[in-house]
Amino acid sequence: MTTRRDLFKIAGGAAVGALLTPAPWRMITDGALWSENWPGIPRPARGEIRAKFTNCTLCPAGCAMKARCVGDQPISIAGVAGHPLSHGALCPYGIAGHHLPYHPERLLSGAVEDAAAAIKKGIGEGGRIAVFDTRPGRTASWTYRRAMASLPGGLYLRPEAALNGDAVDLSAARTVLSFGVPLLDGWGTPGNVIQARGNFRLIQVEAIESRTAAMADVWLPTNPGEERAIASLILNGGMDHIARELEDGPVLVLGPEDWPEIVELNRKYGALGRTIVSRRDAPVPDTWKDAAPEMEWADAAEGSIRVLLIDETAPGAYVPWHSIETRLSRDAVVVAFTATRDGYARHAQFALATAVFPEALDDIPAAVDSPAGVFRLSTSMVPSAAWTIDPAMFIAQLAGIDAASALRDRADAICRSARGNVFHYADQKSTPMKAMKADAFWKSLNEGACWIDDLDPKAHAPQLVARAATRASNVSLVETCGAGLVSPLFSKLHEESHVRLARHEIALNPAVGFCDGERVALQTDCGRIAMTVLLDPSIPPGSIQTATGADVLDLCGGATGAKVVRI
Amino acid sequence: MNARYGMTIDIDRCNGCGACMVACAVENNIPPAHAGANDRKGLTWIRVYKVDNGKEYPERRSAFVPVLCQQCGNETPCAHVCPQQAVDVDPKTGVVGQMPERCLGCRYCMAACPYHARYFNWWDPAWPKGMEKTLNPSVAPRMRGVVEKCNFCHGRWHEARERAAANGLAASEPVDYVPACVEACPAGAIRFGNLNDSTSEVAHKSKEPDSFRLLEKLGTDPKIYYHSKRDWVKTIAEAPRPGAGKENVRG
Repeated sequence: MTTRRDLFKIAGGAAVGALLTPAPWRMITDGALWSENWPGIPRPARGEIRAKFTNCTLCPAGCAMKARCVGDQPISIAGVAGHPLSHGALCPYGIAGHHLPYHPERLLSGAVEDAAAAIKKGIGEGGRIAVFDTRPGRTASWTYRRAMASLPGGLYLRPEAALNGDAVDLSAARTVLSFGVPLLDGWGTPGNVIQARGNFRLIQVEAIESRTAAMADVWLPTNPGEERAIASLILNGGMDHIARELEDGPVLVLGPEDWPEIVELNRKYGALGRTIVSRRDAPVPDTWKDAAPEMEWADAAEGSIRVLLIDETAPGAYVPWHSIETRLSRDAVVVAFTATRDGYARHAQFALATAVFPEALDDIPAAVDSPAGVFRLSTSMVPSAAWTIDPAMFIAQLAGIDAASALRDRADAICRSARGNVFHYADQKSTPMKAMKADAFWKSLNEGACWIDDLDPKAHAPQLVARAATRASNVSLVETCGAGLVSPLFSKLHEESHVRLARHEIALNPAVGFCDGERVALQTDCGRIAMTVLLDPSIPPGSIQTATGADVLDLCGGATGAKVVRI
Repeated sequence: MNARYGMTIDIDRCNGCGACMVACAVENNIPPAHAGANDRKGLTWIRVYKVDNGKEYPERRSAFVPVLCQQCGNETPCAHVCPQQAVDVDPKTGVVGQMPERCLGCRYCMAACPYHARYFNWWDPAWPKGMEKTLNPSVAPRMRGVVEKCNFCHGRWHEARERAAANGLAASEPVDYVPACVEACPAGAIRFGNLNDSTSEVAHKSKEPDSFRLLEKLGTDPKIYYHSKRDWVKTIAEAPRPGAGKENVRG
């Protein structure tokens, strides 16, 4: 007979047994779904909301930014309306730039002392030292040049300068003929290009219907690799309908600068001095004038460099590693200053971790579409992580020069020049430089301001010089969501929507015989990289579209005849 | 008169950069993709679709169409089917709101939405270590198991009302209220305002001959007006969603 005691025992046993199953814990979790006080959800920090102003360093455009902060922590970023160069616009990279200090793939350490010892050993053995700077023109670049001038045989190397250092005045153009240049997708300052877009007709010559081609007034689809032949045809009077369009000047012709046809077309249609203009750089202190000269990397002698220091903290043009490698001596020491393992750090003996936006104080030189020289700062909005180093200070220390106040010294030199105007972001007003004192100018720069030089009245028409031409490639590279550090929220653009190609994703025409999601290898004479296929009927057969990234640029830079093979 | 907030999206100006999608995620505390997320399980309150004219290369032409909750004003389908009354239409603004605290995750609203503009929260919201410091305090992160969607940045509306009231202005229709995607669009393709205000830019643009709404034939009175001079682009208004039937097409 079952007694009351038995019932209690059964109930008690069931209760204890249930605790050993996931059921009650699951019920607690699910019950909490109806409450926002669920421990699984992070709680946003609360505090005083205020605005801070700065400038973006994530690409050479250097767009003005207004950060909404809780206390000192930026929680969102927007453009600065009324800015004369960026016109209030920001690209998605800038909008989520405040996430970068927390990127899970950020470089967290580096053997600083070992690197310093290896560098000193290399110099001590009489080897030549060089700094390769991916974004020249910064104050840090001047520090490198000064440092290299004080070291025996020191070289300052830079990537090939766009337009030989001259600038494009898009606002003056009525017709723009572009050979595959991503004019509307990351080429210049986004706001400036969009602002000028209403005033010019755009003719895009490109094999693939890129974002720029999709937005062009005329898209001229070509077979892959035929773009240069079309440029030659237009130059020699062929293609009447395009020639007629080009009669509506001023004209600007953009394309790979190693094509002589681009130089000749600009000369023929009178672009030099009208849409391609000379630009004065921001002044520097007189004591810096004995710095080492700028030298393009390609001009360095083969096998000559014993110690190579690469600063890729400020993203700029990427030179494929196989081109750099030929300049190194057999026992060369390579040190990369970087925030990620993706770039030159893959090839360097030492990768030293640096600050990322918006941790570091840095300046941003004028973009390719800025006819006037500029000076603006990206201020430190959050403290730099403890493990990071400042490459400019590291190299200055190596050379025994003082660079601690280099930015302030340059600001003072600009102030002394009494040229141009200062645009203040908070009140969107401009002040003539000659009406400002040095301290007030420096304070303004740190609170959000941009110095814009006067146009040079004595400027000469630029003289473009064609470089040695490389052969055209059948690989179309588009901006990636995976090169370097970008916000983890970019997953919205590739993983969760496919609006942009993810890193190591390759777009092919369905007719070429691969399946969606298939694993393949992109192969050139420089090697191969495993990729995932994404079928896209808008890619013509014979063309390949993939996202940029240091490894892809190493593979495809200068290579022709890329092909996709099954793995 | 009550406001009737709406948008105009100029497809001819959109280059598909995705700034609107990223700004939306930043503003509304939408987490990065979970490892198992894809284009069906992702959380994208505004999603840019790539559409084309259906022709073969080289006659093929593409356009980018941002699609978000269309804020239906008539017989709002999602509000009708919700058994929890977790969806409501604010008569003061015309905005269709979603209350995650009430949602039980049945997803009837997702099935009912003709625009596929609602998203289910499949996973616990998680951010990389330290990134939770960048969350917006004006918007509560949602829990796993509920449906989410665009609400025209409701947190911004509240803040704009507070600012207006603090400045002694009428709080009912704050003048500086814009959703994050509108503020972020570098091309100025997305415009926002009160459709009931005949002087507003959106009211003007919505009446232009090149304006159209998605699936207008359903009679749901969406408050998002698209704009294009290209005739083939306008045909997307008849499709269940831009690019439908071509699941592998990007966007």
